[in-house]
Amino acid sequence: MGARRPYMRTMSKTSWFMTHARFKTYMLHEISSVFVALYMWLLIDGLFRLAKGPEAWEAWLSFIKHPLVVVISLIAFAFFVIHTMSWFKAVPQAMRIQQGEHFVDGKLIIGGHYAALGAFSLFVLILAGVA
Amino acid sequence: MSKRTIQLEVLRYRPEQDKEPFFQTYTVPCEEEWVVLDALNYVKDEIDRTLSFRWSCHMFVCGSCGYKIDGEPKLGCKAFLRDYGDNIRVEPLDNFPIERDLVVVIDDFVEKLQSVKPYIIAKEEKALAAGEYIQTPAQLKAFKQYSMCINCLLCYSACPQYGLTNQEFIGPAALALAHRYNMDSRDVGRSAREHVLAAHEGVWECSFVGACSVVCPKDVDPAGAIQQAKFTSAVDYLTSMVGIGGK
Amino acid sequence: MARSAKAVPWFLFAAGGTITAFVLPVMLFVTNLAPPVGLFSEAMSWETMYGFVGNWLVKLVLLGIIGFGLWHAAHRLRVCAHDFGIRADTVVAYIVYGVAGLATLATIWALLMI
Ligand code: SF4
Ligand code: FES
Repeated sequence: MGARRPYMRTMSKTSWFMTHARFKTYMLHEISSVFVALYMWLLIDGLFRLAKGPEAWEAWLSFIKHPLVVVISLIAFAFFVIHTMSWFKAVPQAMRIQQGEHFVDGKLIIGGHYAALGAFSLFVLILAGVA
Repeated sequence: MSKRTIQLEVLRYRPEQDKEPFFQTYTVPCEEEWVVLDALNYVKDEIDRTLSFRWSCHMFVCGSCGYKIDGEPKLGCKAFLRDYGDNIRVEPLDNFPIERDLVVVIDDFVEKLQSVKPYIIAKEEKALAAGEYIQTPAQLKAFKQYSMCINCLLCYSACPQYGLTNQEFIGPAALALAHRYNMDSRDVGRSAREHVLAAHEGVWECSFVGACSVVCPKDVDPAGAIQQAKFTSAVDYLTSMVGIGGK
Repeated sequence: MARSAKAVPWFLFAAGGTITAFVLPVMLFVTNLAPPVGLFSEAMSWETMYGFVGNWLVKLVLLGIIGFGLWHAAHRLRVCAHDFGIRADTVVAYIVYGVAGLATLATIWALLMI
């Protein structure tokens, strides 16, 4: 028997996620955080301008309507949807609900989340519409 | 039984003569109902006796035949040829040093597994004569899924965090087993496992990529177990921080 | 091995993840996607908004959304940095949580001025 000489294959620590489709999906929902951060910053800025007065608020609104901002907003919307879908999908794994000798079906839990999402979104849209 | 010929590309590494691993292709006449392990055994028996790989049960219970097949961690005895093309690439599992050909060094995992104390730590040892530890079916159900692990290490091979942390992350199977014993109604060893589980290299190195649960041949769902363990140890951390309880 | 303090920001991350999952799509639609096409112009006017956000309950809800959203994003950005191969985890952690903390304070300040 020859001497042991275990061989370790290396992995790229900066581009490993390009090696498999599921890693790309994972990175997509991780990157949604960039857009969440940007949006929070925009909202805080909006609050300061709202406090300042009508002109400052109008400036914020016209910023929102700038074509470049609209494009970024559309991309952000896509990422928010990705975040919502991946988050809901993971809920049954992270939080199992046991009833006696059974677990509540994961699809039911996910379905419940989507129903709540729909109801809440509708509520906000109606609120914005009647204002 | 229909015949079929496949090209089996196997990663070879013979430490006494190869500087680094290389692919060797074998032409294997197969039966349609074979699994990849059958093809490897054909090579070993009929073509090249120097090829090394681990296997034992041929029925997905021993967990020793984990290889990367066409880029996906699989059990060789559960990977049916009918699900693959005529060119199949077999490599050793990722994230482990290669000992020889498809055989990897798993010492790191064995050490990690031992560190989580994967056995029941009872409140008090009962004498055999005192009878069994009673458990209801519902109590069994709470952890049963996490007890199905066969230590095949497909999850470690699939886990990018295990590789990214240079194998410092305790990893899916060991953490799932720690959680399995923590969830067992007969066990009181949670605090004895907490220093491993709640460490940075424990559950907190997991970013819920979820690959482990996808590749697990036993539906253990280590990713789910780890998220649940994160929740309980975060509650522990907070309660001990504000001084109420803590274990 | 010592118990990791990551437990605390993880809690905020998890709570923030849930809140943002429910709230952000529709909220972004109302604030960013509707105005360019002229929708909800009444609701988005300064008078209506000022009155709406003036309500203390609304302030509390907004603080919840923005605050948890910030901490959610901060923690995930920390993980992102790690996943992109940045090994200085402690430095990254101080930066992202520091910014999230300051931004949370800024949010409270802005809300108090309305
Ligand atoms: S958790 Fe699943 S994939 Fe991981 S070692 Fe156990 S059986 Fe194999
Ligand atoms: S040979 Fe035992 S699991 Fe495959």
